[in-house]
Amino acid sequence: MDETRIIAWIDGELSSEEAAEVEAAVAADPGLAALADRHRRIRARFTAAFAPLLDNPVPLPKRKPARVVSLAAVREERAQAAPRPAPRWRGWAWPGAVAASLLVGLMAGHGSGPAGLSDRAGALALSAPMAQALDRQASGDLGTVNVALSFKNHDGQFCRSFVAQYIGGVACKAPGGWQLRYAAPVDAQHGDYRMAGSDPASAKVVATMIAGDPLDAAGERKAIAAGWR
Amino acid sequence: MDDFETGLTALLPRLRRFAHGLARDPADADDLTQQTAERALKARDQWQPGTSLAAWTYRIMRNLWIDAGRSRQRRDAVLAPEEWGGTIGVTGEAEGRAELHFLMRAMDRLPDEQREAVALVMIEGLAYAEAAALLEVPVGTLTSRLVRGRQALAAMLGE
Repeated sequence: MDETRIIAWIDGELSSEEAAEVEAAVAADPGLAALADRHRRIRARFTAAFAPLLDNPVPLPKRKPARVVSLAAVREERAQAAPRPAPRWRGWAWPGAVAASLLVGLMAGHGSGPAGLSDRAGALALSAPMAQALDRQASGDLGTVNVALSFKNHDGQFCRSFVAQYIGGVACKAPGGWQLRYAAPVDAQHGDYRMAGSDPASAKVVATMIAGDPLDAAGERKAIAAGWR
Repeated sequence: MDDFETGLTALLPRLRRFAHGLARDPADADDLTQQTAERALKARDQWQPGTSLAAWTYRIMRNLWIDAGRSRQRRDAVLAPEEWGGTIGVTGEAEGRAELHFLMRAMDRLPDEQREAVALVMIEGLAYAEAAALLEVPVGTLTSRLVRGRQALAAMLGE
């Protein structure tokens, strides 16, 4: 009768015949009985100490980590799409203008009015907590905003696509701070913080704005350290 | 909440208990639980309906813990004696917490392969065959790791 068999007996791993055999051996040998008692006590001690952990409910994580957009897929899709006539005024094609009117509408809906908007036409300054999160968070981190992607635009500014509690979009770091260049309301109804930048519309926006490739993790760390300048 | 999320939510307390069997302290255990839930939500397409969601999520947790262990610096196996005296003069709930911390520290001194075997069988109550399948080792290997771990714990706990 070895220790392995006694432990298996305590763990309920033996058939009834095998269990009866161990029981008889233990009853006949005080040394084996002490060994069995010892392992039974340890198991009971662990069970008792760890069981209260089951009494506390654990919430599901509130947000899913941001998905990184496949820019290659978006470019492919664009290349295959039928060529469209060039817009008459380039200014109208620039997503910022669209975003500006959309966002003013959103803000009016929330009753917050135009306070916090920069006085520059077409530029929307972001609130301090959002700006701070854009300054500090790496892509994929969970926080005030979830950043999917960082890149440089054709003006040489750093831009980041993100999603926050009510709004997602693309913001770029201008000399005055982070400014929204594209925004869309976020559907948080199902607890599903859909990533602006992973839905086709904002992926297309990113694809029109981006110059070169998105930043990798090292590039992002460098940009965070340099304040995105 | 859909069926997957409902199932995962129901499992989270058990996953948290398993995490306490693996992690070095309760804060690490809670982090591991959250990471596991996030990973499970992200990888939900890889779970095959009809198979055990519990086994699938336990495996995710175990792999995250192993990955963290590879980058984590191994601590000294020897603890200072004052770290072992925490249970004197406390009562009730505080005593329960102290006992939990005490047992977690004892588990922390086991080699990883013995610790995961002990956590799955002795704390989570899995059958040997279930634990062996989850760890992808033969039952004999699982059993010998389990027995060595239990013998080491018995010595540490003065049993």
